[in-house]
Amino acid sequence: MSQHATAMPPATEMHQEPSYLAVSNVTKRFGAATVLDSLSLSVGRAEFVSLLGPSGCGKTTLLRLIAGLLAPDQGAIEVGGRDLTRVAAHKRNIGVVFQNYALFPHLTVAENIAYGLRAKGVPKAEQAKKVGDALGLVRMEAFADRAVTALSGGQQQRIAVARAVVVEPSLLLLDEPFSALDRKLRETMQIELRHILRNLGITSIFVTHDQDEALVMSDRIAVMNEGRIEHLGTPSEVYARPKSLYTMEFVGQSSRMGGVVKGSSEGLVEIDTPFGLVRAPGHFMSGSRVIVGVRPEAIAAGEGPAGEYNTVRGTVAEVIYFGSRTLLHFQTAQDGDRLHVELNRLPDQVAPGSAMTLRWRIDDSRVFPAPTETGR
Amino acid sequence: MALFGSLFCRIVLGLVIAFLFMPILIVLTVSFSSSAVFAFPPPGFSLRWYASLGNADSMLQAVWLSSQIAALSTAISLVLGTLCAIAITRGMIPGAKAVATFMASPLMLPGLVLGIAFLQAARDFGLRDTYTTLLIAHVVITMPFIMRTVLASLSLFDFAMVDAARMLGRSYPAALWTVLVPNILPGFVSGGLFAFIASFDNYPVSIFLVDVRTKTLPIQLLNQVEMSPDPTVAAISALLILGTIVALIVCDRLVGLKRMASI
Repeated sequence: MSQHATAMPPATEMHQEPSYLAVSNVTKRFGAATVLDSLSLSVGRAEFVSLLGPSGCGKTTLLRLIAGLLAPDQGAIEVGGRDLTRVAAHKRNIGVVFQNYALFPHLTVAENIAYGLRAKGVPKAEQAKKVGDALGLVRMEAFADRAVTALSGGQQQRIAVARAVVVEPSLLLLDEPFSALDRKLRETMQIELRHILRNLGITSIFVTHDQDEALVMSDRIAVMNEGRIEHLGTPSEVYARPKSLYTMEFVGQSSRMGGVVKGSSEGLVEIDTPFGLVRAPGHFMSGSRVIVGVRPEAIAAGEGPAGEYNTVRGTVAEVIYFGSRTLLHFQTAQDGDRLHVELNRLPDQVAPGSAMTLRWRIDDSRVFPAPTETGR
Repeated sequence: MALFGSLFCRIVLGLVIAFLFMPILIVLTVSFSSSAVFAFPPPGFSLRWYASLGNADSMLQAVWLSSQIAALSTAISLVLGTLCAIAITRGMIPGAKAVATFMASPLMLPGLVLGIAFLQAARDFGLRDTYTTLLIAHVVITMPFIMRTVLASLSLFDFAMVDAARMLGRSYPAALWTVLVPNILPGFVSGGLFAFIASFDNYPVSIFLVDVRTKTLPIQLLNQVEMSPDPTVAAISALLILGTIVALIVCDRLVGLKRMASI
């Protein structure tokens, strides 16, 4: 573990580094279904990357391919310059924290952690020291001789992390490790785990379907959909500047308005929507059908300067009060449209049926080509 | 009324237990009899039938043969049955359900049918060695017991543990041995115990396969009862009961009877 702790580049510089984990053009089929379709991903050393997507998007399959628990039909997987594509799982030196932790119930906490060290033939005395260090790392020293079945969910997760990192893996894979925890504990563990992994400087791939988890934990997020990566970027890029409608809708809340492009100039397009004319940065041919997306918290009440803002009028359909903020749903005229506005302070006398003027910065608008098929 | 009901239940329970234990008690008592015939209650006490066991060569040979066949067939079934059960639960083979049912089917067939089938098959394949034929037949007899308990154990086993062991540096076979085996040990022990007993006291299949020099214990015992019915048979039975008790105690120490019973 000590060697990991020494070299840890700051989070911002990692993109320029040659990739540490390189997944190249990996395809995986199960029968007739193509689960991963020529997928590539590179991750820098000590980076924490989340694979975010709904169930069935292929994120767990990708994780199992990297682990070596599955073999790809095509493509290659490299870690630290070593081609692992044909290397057996147990020779890859990759750590995994499983969804239900997969602790060994017939062994004590300390024996669980020592399992990998024994498998690697580490001498007894050194094993004891490393197990002690790993228990300290996850602050579970007092539990060494307990049965793992007697531990709470959060404690089991700590042991699973300790067991995975004690062998100093070249890469750590985490498969939805928080899904079994209740919400409060989950938030605490997210921050603590991120802290531990940062300190170790270990490269981590984290699978989750929970966008909040991905936003909180990651250096970068790979938003996955149907076996492909839709968007790979930092949490703020993925959230504020999504590359696709799918990413916009999957990560966070969003308002969306369908419309037709009327014209464009100087990198802005003007779109005719049921709410009126809306401008957004982008390049589209006149007449293209598009969808404009805005984050609800980017929308404010009242008019703004026309040069910088889009201004629309709408009728409130529903008021949802959260305490620190209020979400307003507005009436829409066409299917698929959604105008949601999040306000920190509610203007006086807003109720379903009230008419309101709304504004958002042109720069906060995203335009995407409208999906051709109906459905999404 | 409730009091009467509870009393009634207790009486029935007592009668059932007495009914189950009576034969064992009678055999034990007769084995210490001084009489040369099966007489109950025995006229006097002696250990002569235990002493006479030392000379009952054919009986001891049968005990030895049955023990070997039962132990070997159970061991073979444990290995093959476990591997097969893993393939079935992991969906590695098509028609897994059908295979599982097929493997358990000898339990549903009358032993006589199996015995005749084995006799015929052994002839057709030119298998003349009685020992080998018996062993193969007993693997088939013991297999359902192993399959049932191991499949039940595996359905509760989280195979992510095997993946975890592999990621920590153990090959697949080593991962099975260090993680799967200890965790389904109660299933192995209870399945193994049932399998051993099923083989050890099998009569209907073995009767078609034995020859004059190779006789399993149940067949030898029945011969003995027909030819010279003296309490030697009771002495042997008493020793078998003792052996069973010892086996149960060992199993209890090993994995706990409670865990075994829950499988």
